[in-house]
Amino acid sequence: MNKIKNLFPGYLTSIANSYSQIFFSNSKFFAIILIVVSFFDWVAGLSGLLAVTTTNTVAYIFGLNRSNIKAGYYGFNSLLVALSLGVYFQINIEFLIILFFTSILTLFITIALEGVIGKYGIPYLSIPFLIVCWMISLATRQYSHLEVSERGIYMMNEMYKVGGIRLLNIYEWFDQLNLPASIIMYFRSLGAIFFQYSVLAGMLIAVGLVFYSRIAFLLSLLGFFSAFIFYRIIGANLSELSNHYIGFNFILTAIAIGGYFIVSSRYSFLWVILMSPLIVITITSANAILAIWQLPIYSLPFNLVVLLFLYVLKFRERFHHKPELVYLQQNTPEKNLYFQSNNKTRFKNAFYIPFSLPFIGEWRVTQGYNGEYTHKGDWQHALDFEVYDEKGMAFKAQGSNLEDFYCFNKPILSPSGGWVEEIEDDIEDNKVGETNSAKNWGNTIIIRHADGLYSKLCHLKKNSFKVVKGDYVKKGDVLAYCGNSGHSPKPHIHFQLQATPYIGSKTIEYPIGNYLLNTKGRFELKQFEKPNKDDTITAFERNRVLANAFNFIPGKKLCFKVEVNGHPHQDAEWEIEKDIYNQLFISCSKTNSKIYFYTDDVQMYFTRFSGNQKSVLFQFYLSAYKIMFGFYQNMEVKDVFPIHIIRKPWLIFIQDFVASFYIFLKSEYTIRYVSKTDDFNLSQIELAGNYQLKVFGKLFNHSEFKISINNEGLQQILIENTSLNKTVTLTKI
Amino acid sequence: MEKLRYERPVIKKLETGMPNKFGLRTEYYPKTQIDGVSIKELIKEHGSPLFVISENTIRSTYQQAKRAFTTRYPKVQFAWSYKTNYLNAVCNVYHQEGSWAEVVSGFEYDKAIANGVNGKKIIFNGPDKSRNDLTKAIKNDSILHIDHLDELYTIIELADELNKKPRVAIRVNMDTGIYPMWDRFGFNYENGQAWDALNKIMRSGKMDLVGLHTHIGTFMLSPNAYSIATSKLVDLALGLQQKYNHEIHYLDLGGGFCSRNTLKGAYLPGDDTNPTFDDYAEAITTVLINSSFPQEKMPTLILETGRALIDDAGYLITSVIANKRLSGGKRATIIDAGVNIMFTSFWYEHKITPAQNFTHYSEDTVLYGPLCMNIDVIRESISLPLLNKGDQMVIHSVGAYNMTQWMQFITLRPKIVLIDMDERVHVIRDKETIEDIENQESTPDYLKKFNL
Repeated sequence: MNKIKNLFPGYLTSIANSYSQIFFSNSKFFAIILIVVSFFDWVAGLSGLLAVTTTNTVAYIFGLNRSNIKAGYYGFNSLLVALSLGVYFQINIEFLIILFFTSILTLFITIALEGVIGKYGIPYLSIPFLIVCWMISLATRQYSHLEVSERGIYMMNEMYKVGGIRLLNIYEWFDQLNLPASIIMYFRSLGAIFFQYSVLAGMLIAVGLVFYSRIAFLLSLLGFFSAFIFYRIIGANLSELSNHYIGFNFILTAIAIGGYFIVSSRYSFLWVILMSPLIVITITSANAILAIWQLPIYSLPFNLVVLLFLYVLKFRERFHHKPELVYLQQNTPEKNLYFQSNNKTRFKNAFYIPFSLPFIGEWRVTQGYNGEYTHKGDWQHALDFEVYDEKGMAFKAQGSNLEDFYCFNKPILSPSGGWVEEIEDDIEDNKVGETNSAKNWGNTIIIRHADGLYSKLCHLKKNSFKVVKGDYVKKGDVLAYCGNSGHSPKPHIHFQLQATPYIGSKTIEYPIGNYLLNTKGRFELKQFEKPNKDDTITAFERNRVLANAFNFIPGKKLCFKVEVNGHPHQDAEWEIEKDIYNQLFISCSKTNSKIYFYTDDVQMYFTRFSGNQKSVLFQFYLSAYKIMFGFYQNMEVKDVFPIHIIRKPWLIFIQDFVASFYIFLKSEYTIRYVSKTDDFNLSQIELAGNYQLKVFGKLFNHSEFKISINNEGLQQILIENTSLNKTVTLTKI
Repeated sequence: MEKLRYERPVIKKLETGMPNKFGLRTEYYPKTQIDGVSIKELIKEHGSPLFVISENTIRSTYQQAKRAFTTRYPKVQFAWSYKTNYLNAVCNVYHQEGSWAEVVSGFEYDKAIANGVNGKKIIFNGPDKSRNDLTKAIKNDSILHIDHLDELYTIIELADELNKKPRVAIRVNMDTGIYPMWDRFGFNYENGQAWDALNKIMRSGKMDLVGLHTHIGTFMLSPNAYSIATSKLVDLALGLQQKYNHEIHYLDLGGGFCSRNTLKGAYLPGDDTNPTFDDYAEAITTVLINSSFPQEKMPTLILETGRALIDDAGYLITSVIANKRLSGGKRATIIDAGVNIMFTSFWYEHKITPAQNFTHYSEDTVLYGPLCMNIDVIRESISLPLLNKGDQMVIHSVGAYNMTQWMQFITLRPKIVLIDMDERVHVIRDKETIEDIENQESTPDYLKKFNL
């Protein structure tokens, strides 16, 4: 076994996943149920297992993508083919030979389809299974050595052989349950996915489905019963639905478009209902065509309708959230929903370039968007800034000279990296109270940050430019000095963003990435917001001690001595690694847990946790979820966790059932910047925060944590869960 | 109706036709209150003479200085120069505003510690730091600004002894184009002493070299000198980066900024000619911001300015003891504040205004202190209205040095009050009594008796 582990890592996982992947799952428990169900017909079960093993091994030796093999993406079609063959034929050596080559054929077709339709960004689903099944079905008619199985006919005999009268009784009991016909039909359809036309198989699969995903289970019911009702309404032949190779199409389609490829929501549920008639039409018409060659339609309707729908969704230009495609597959409808909605709240501004304020220190907005003086019409999205003193004056002495104004001759910085597109540098600075309306923008610089995104700074001091046209400037580079040129009766700067590179271009609405709003000495962090008139604001200043502590570069190791409730625990040894998608993560090899994170010049935040939630790494995930690299006394940074990280199984279980319509759980993260001693090489920073779980807005559970940092990096993390009476202390080794 | 004030008759030379360059007459306004507190009331309550410190002025001047620098450079730290005024109340106002402490002796060091300043936020300057002082400072992780090699060697010894890495900087002296060049403190930049000291520190490996310090002079009338000083420190810091890959955390440009006072012999009043915080800030930060430090490695700028921050916040209220006429006919007024408590009158022409109403008549006067010493002159020549015995005058801008350099000589030192932000008066130092002086003395028994 160990040898296999070394030769083919993730061998067993690849087999398990090939089973659960049929329901889009990667749950091992679900896989075990499915394997058991497949062995209801022992030949089919054995064929399935052999086919999966063959396919995954061949794929591995062939050198195909290992993570795809491990995820079961290559195995599940072979499994389906083998199951269909297994229930149909007797087992003999010829059958095994055919099975072996069928598996390879299925793998090849899978790969071919991955290449061909994969580039349209749509999955191949079970099309390989369909193609191979039809091919085999047509081909085996000519192979006389294959014997058609009679087990389907003498099923009871077979079962008696395996489990005696007791098994037979159990099996019988389920089939004779006094359930409504539609429910029986539903279970049978579920069982039919594994070529088991029995209520027991269906029930077991249903249990596995509930375990895997509550949403998927709901969807399976919705898909099936909306079809059932549609058949009733149009008066179609209900026996078509009860045909064991038909009903499951509705179930799989419902899971696929209701929550797996599309984020589960009331829109996705609506579309599941709307898809049923399409499937019905496909079933009837496809049956008519394939009947010519006496081929069953199997999962053709499911494949056609899902692929069609997913493809069509990509052509939308509007209403992208009704319904919304899953961008990063998390393998359960719940995770897809929670993860994506969490990302939408957390990273809704990722699209914007994070501009910083173009000055040093504390300034005031003297005219905001839609200002009362000049920010009107095409030029409404602009900001004017000046410096005010604590008495509310913009100048000292009488304010009769330009030099009396606090903002005059102060350095003006580049708000973000870019190329200097235009400079106007030869307009005289006005005397206080005078304006120059002929050259109303005054001395101006325009910087190109991206195609169609320019920033413009105006009323600069004559001949004060430190850069020339064509220069590349970094964020924070000095561009020029604040002056009083153009339409400016007193020194100030005008800042705007625009889509075209001309002086006088109209403005566009665009938020400022990071800045601090200062109200009576309290700093409030603003991210991707627009400052208002009379706001006193400061550019966000990066603190190197903080930035250094959370500068996780690949190869770096984080080692902590761990104490739980005062008792020593195994040391935490984590390493920063990077995956093939260039995503950085903190990895704990002992618990096989990972925290994916993102860092830029002003912040570090965790994007995802995977692995064991009992690990110390998970505690770290909760406590350092988002860190801004600037220290401002009492500043608070807030964020929200995705719901599936909550460790309350029964609460989550209930939440999952209604999640597509209403979310009543909320887990929030807050971190407060408590104290800082800026002592150069002996600096010390203390952060404190909490994690709060709220149910219907009421506090249910919470942890408090403290983080100590110095020049050497993270020193200590203390996590205290008051509800659980648990304290975890991490001390740097 | 208030009784009309008596003013003695005066005979004055008629000055018509030829206006002097300051106009026909000197404009005078009485200073009857400080921050809303009446001067007469203050004197009635606390006696004369009386030092008055305005907390409001301290804070607003500090904010003005801070604004001048922080709107030009992102990392600025002020360190309160204790020697300028080390009254605990005053120091603590600065500490409340965020200033660190800059001390130049063991005594000042202890004072800062007693005030509750964290040892890491004390900058220890000066040529005289005893082994004891250094030990204390090293244990507290204070920053030592090394003045000479002998101190450097002592610190190396102590580092071994205490098994600690002291945090140090060196004081650098340099030619910044001004006269006199202060070369008595620290290590010279031009002749390579500074590099010699830096090499010794780096090679020893026993100290954390955290910054570089200079203090180019006092009452610097030329901001440009600071530009030169900054560029020389930047050069050293970048050199250290290049040679040792060692990062300098801060550049300390010392103090020496002018207050609003007028130096003796100045042609124009200091208020009009002395550079402002903005001028100094401009000179220093322009060099820093345009230097080749990478953006994220910009050093913190430390400023130890004392005089310019506190001078205007201090007033001395004094009362007229007598008027007399000198042999040459010049009017002389004797007041109850002498040079023993007004050390700065040796180099400033302090602005002095009466504390009560007067007519527009004025007379050229010499102001003498109460001491029985010929040098006790507060102003040699000042045009003052006609004052009577018991009238008050306010001497402006006396916040710096007077309350630390004063001495008990002939008279005792007076009270100091602080007017807080809410116009409440607090005594922050009581007047001296004979016990205060004699407590330190001891008379041998055989000298206790005598017969006259």
